[in-house]
Amino acid sequence: MMAKALSKRMAPAASPEIRQGLIGRESGMDWMRCAVRSGLAAWALVALPVAAAEQSPPDISGFWSLDMAPNVSDPALIAKLPPDTVVLDDTGVTEFPSGEFGGLKLKPEARAAAARWKPQDEMTLSRVCAAPSIVYAIQGPFPFEIHQTPTLIVFKYEYFDQVRLIFMDGRPHPPADAPHSKVGHSTGHWEGDELVIDTTHLAPATITNNGLDHSANVHMVERYKLSADGNMLKATQWFEDPETLDNNGARYIQWEKKAGSYVFPYDCDPSFAIQYQTIGNPADESGEGTPAP
Amino acid sequence: MLGKSLLAVLALFLVGQSPAWAHHSFAAFFDSAKIIKLRGTVTAFHFTNPHGTISLDVTDEAGKVQRWRAETNAPVVLMRRGWTRDSVKPGDVITIDGWVSRDGKPYLRLRAAYDAHGKAIGQAFGQNDG
Repeated sequence: MMAKALSKRMAPAASPEIRQGLIGRESGMDWMRCAVRSGLAAWALVALPVAAAEQSPPDISGFWSLDMAPNVSDPALIAKLPPDTVVLDDTGVTEFPSGEFGGLKLKPEARAAAARWKPQDEMTLSRVCAAPSIVYAIQGPFPFEIHQTPTLIVFKYEYFDQVRLIFMDGRPHPPADAPHSKVGHSTGHWEGDELVIDTTHLAPATITNNGLDHSANVHMVERYKLSADGNMLKATQWFEDPETLDNNGARYIQWEKKAGSYVFPYDCDPSFAIQYQTIGNPADESGEGTPAP
Repeated sequence: MLGKSLLAVLALFLVGQSPAWAHHSFAAFFDSAKIIKLRGTVTAFHFTNPHGTISLDVTDEAGKVQRWRAETNAPVVLMRRGWTRDSVKPGDVITIDGWVSRDGKPYLRLRAAYDAHGKAIGQAFGQNDG
């Protein structure tokens, strides 16, 4: 299991010499010592703001759209994935057909449930606008916005209007029996220039959009970093779910920054299910009424 | 040559197509290796997420009319590809192609649409899109 402990990045305290140089008394010192201290004080005035700036996390805010280039990856991020992890090849437009799970090892119960699943099951009024959890949703080709502050980062997704709050203030996850949702509960911290997000409390939903669902105890860890030019956001999304899987899954995802764009409202309309169900029903070809038997 | 309101179903077996992503599984729902092409008269155009739909009356050579329905990408995606809610209107004669539903219904996933003059409506789907 990946470490869940938070490690807030703190600005290192000024050294005793620097503190003394800034506020120390000068009486009884020879001129050399005084000069050294004066030099240290001057260095501190210049160096401290520079150090603080260097320690600020990168600014990942903006509008991000999936990079559709094939075979993209970041070996350094992939190398940080825990052992016994399979990287799924279904990011973006690619999807697995029925019965294909990209190397995930399903528990017998999960495999049986996936075998019972039919794609038509999703085309009903009660299901068609049921949002997936972010385990599946974040890898799709819909854009999202990031709004960043030191203590809170907001991910606003276009897909199903989902919004995530990433708490950067050091708080823990809530108790295990706290309510679950499709976006879960996320805490984050910076490791150097990488944002690490730990998410729990996710309501059961699809992993691969073909009948494989994760449990309520799935645990997801994402690691984000900017490209050198700042125009690309790169991430790994890792998850473990021992109730469902005998190994762990991950995806590599990257997005392009598009200045001036913004997320559109999704506002899912479940009557789309009727559009499908009424096809072939001669009694109602309007697509607005009674579904075909 | 396709005549006005004349059914033309062309089964094209294509290699290397990149199916478009769907809120319901594209790979499980549609045959990514089989594209059909239809010409007909629009009866309805719905422009709502998770997918838009175009209903189309298609007449075969024997004069029999069959209603087809094509689901599009999500309108949030359509809007970035030059579509508006008025791009298609009832009464328009259009030609569409797309991936046919695996369940045998007259239902497909839209790849491209053309107006009566053969001009593309918006931007084609299926590659590098959502």
